[in-house]
Amino acid sequence: MIARLLMTFAALLLITPLLWFQPLSPIAQPHPRFVKLDKAGTPLSPWQGPWSCVLDTQKQLVWEAKTDNENIHDGYWTYSWYLAANEHRPPRGDANLGDCYFESSRCDTQDLINKTRKTALCGLTHWRLPTSDELSSLLQSPARSGHVHIAQDFFPHMKHGDYWSADHSQPLSGHYQRFKQGATAVNFHTGELYPLPYRNAAFVLLVADLPPEFQSSRLKGVIH
Amino acid sequence: MRRVTFVLLHALVIVLVLCSLFTGLRFSLLTQDWLMFISPLLPQGDLYPWHLASGSILSVLAAGYLLLSLWRPYRSNPDLYHLWVNRLGYVVIVCLICSGWFLWAGQFVGVMQPMHFYSLWLLLLYLVIHGWIYFIQHGKHILSALLPKRLEKQGLSLLAGVCITGFLLFTATRHSTEPLQVAHLGPDEFIEIDGKGNEPHWMRAPVYTIETHGGANFDDGRSTIHVQALANQYESYFLIRWTDPSQSTHHLPLLKTQNGWKVQQDGFYRFDERTFYEDKLAVMLSPSCISGADSTTYLGKRPLQGKPPNWHGKGFHASMDGGIRDLWHWKAVRTNDMYLADDNFFGPPAKVQQGQRRYSAGYQPDGKESGAYVMNWQWYTPNAVVPKRLPDPKNADLSVLPWFGSAPYLSKNDKYPPGSTLSSILYRSNRFEGDRADVRARGLWDKGMWTLELVRKHETGSVHDVALKNGTCMWFSAFDHAQVAHTRHIRPAVLRYSL
Repeated sequence: MIARLLMTFAALLLITPLLWFQPLSPIAQPHPRFVKLDKAGTPLSPWQGPWSCVLDTQKQLVWEAKTDNENIHDGYWTYSWYLAANEHRPPRGDANLGDCYFESSRCDTQDLINKTRKTALCGLTHWRLPTSDELSSLLQSPARSGHVHIAQDFFPHMKHGDYWSADHSQPLSGHYQRFKQGATAVNFHTGELYPLPYRNAAFVLLVADLPPEFQSSRLKGVIH
Repeated sequence: MRRVTFVLLHALVIVLVLCSLFTGLRFSLLTQDWLMFISPLLPQGDLYPWHLASGSILSVLAAGYLLLSLWRPYRSNPDLYHLWVNRLGYVVIVCLICSGWFLWAGQFVGVMQPMHFYSLWLLLLYLVIHGWIYFIQHGKHILSALLPKRLEKQGLSLLAGVCITGFLLFTATRHSTEPLQVAHLGPDEFIEIDGKGNEPHWMRAPVYTIETHGGANFDDGRSTIHVQALANQYESYFLIRWTDPSQSTHHLPLLKTQNGWKVQQDGFYRFDERTFYEDKLAVMLSPSCISGADSTTYLGKRPLQGKPPNWHGKGFHASMDGGIRDLWHWKAVRTNDMYLADDNFFGPPAKVQQGQRRYSAGYQPDGKESGAYVMNWQWYTPNAVVPKRLPDPKNADLSVLPWFGSAPYLSKNDKYPPGSTLSSILYRSNRFEGDRADVRARGLWDKGMWTLELVRKHETGSVHDVALKNGTCMWFSAFDHAQVAHTRHIRPAVLRYSL
């Protein structure tokens, strides 16, 4: 009988450690392409926040992250396509035909670029409009019904609408033929690309090239 | 009864009792947090079929054994101790079987749910004082009582008969429904969705009553739900009343402390808030009518292969057969002032998003074109948050902050003294637009009872909605200031429209 009691306690001793072998709580897994950056440009883990930019390790780019806190990066603001003159080019597009709250006049793409450069978002000052190739590289099937065609866990405040690219002087057709030329927009609701008149109000997602001196340090600092 | 037959039936009882016990313990973890430490020992996944099947076969076996004992009893000579222990075992198993059937039927739940729960512990006690004591007394010789030495035709026939009859009972149980009669509403008769339910037309709609259990808070976790339905040519109207002793319209309110604003919570970080949350009601609709949430409940920490675990260890809702189950999710703060219920669905487990801390598997909202409520914090941390907006003084006490009636947060405008509270819900617009706004709803609480009126088109055209027609099944769950800990019932109501 004593042997059986000992066997019972031995069985209990074998089972008891299983009770400590609790399944792990969820753990953040790195995204194969994107890394969040805070407003100073410091990499964050996938569940950390708030984040201001997204490092695109595939394209070596840094994307602006839209917000819903009514600052200049709010995802609700729209812009007409306009780039001011510089030493290399004349002004192009139609100024001040979008809607935002941060300008006394209405908004255009140059306004957002200027303000974003001035504030050195994520430590970068060379923000620009993305090319249509760069912007359309973000397209992917929605992860949930009703989501837009983008990784919405990294780009959470994207709207079901058109986003301007830098590709200008695109011939317009059909209903827009009378405006002759426009810029290419990427629609993140449908996943399509098409030219729109400069005067249209569309959303904007700015991009910056990752400077070579930043590349190794930024990527090294990525927390997975 | 011959000994060999008894041993065969005894072996079957062991299998059935262990299956019922382990699956039942997993169900009890939904409400018994202190038991979470045994979670690694318990099965995970869709456990309703296993629990119902073992219960059904055990019921048939118990009835058969009783009849057989009356006709030709098994003669054994246990000592006085085991005689009384066996009698305890019979009583416990009968209690478990009876209370289980009442719970399945949703009747006398107030008595049956505690009886089922405490009988489970008596069953565990019985297994120790019966099985373990036999082992201590007889060692390996108890194998002769557990394993038949030879197989006889009579015993095998009896075993097969019990299993087949039990399986038939399980199948009937699994597909059993209770009718919810939908009364006719004339084209010139109107229902105002105001949560009052005072239109005389409701008087002719029969009342379907179901007792639900297993929720957080309420009166011992139980709520009685009464449902009436009316339909005209295009739409169905539902009047739902359920017991809830407290009106909870604070949803994770913000509290000003010496260190700034903080979200009041005691479980939100693991997505299982049960104190600072609003009341809710969920209605699931399905074209199929399988008892136990139509196979959409997957219990355990990580019940879905290849998918992440959940934070609270309770489980997920998902539709693994690829079908869609419609889910109307009325929320006392977030959607009530929109005069809507949140139109959601259970679908196949969603793709994992690395940037999302919470994975909700198949539980997803329908798509929307615009409109939303948002949380009034810029980024959530358990220690401190910064609000997105501060209300105008006249709106400071509202449970929902209006967009027009509040201003962007500026620290220089934050004059709130420590101890002040603020709503965490901010309406960016008055209501959803699109697929997610298909269900109009309004609820009112009065004297321990919520009254909710709901209306939806019979056919919405959405792939994420289930048509309202004859044969559509419904399940109802109430939440008493709890995020996920809802009440439940097993047997569905099936819609029966008058011609």
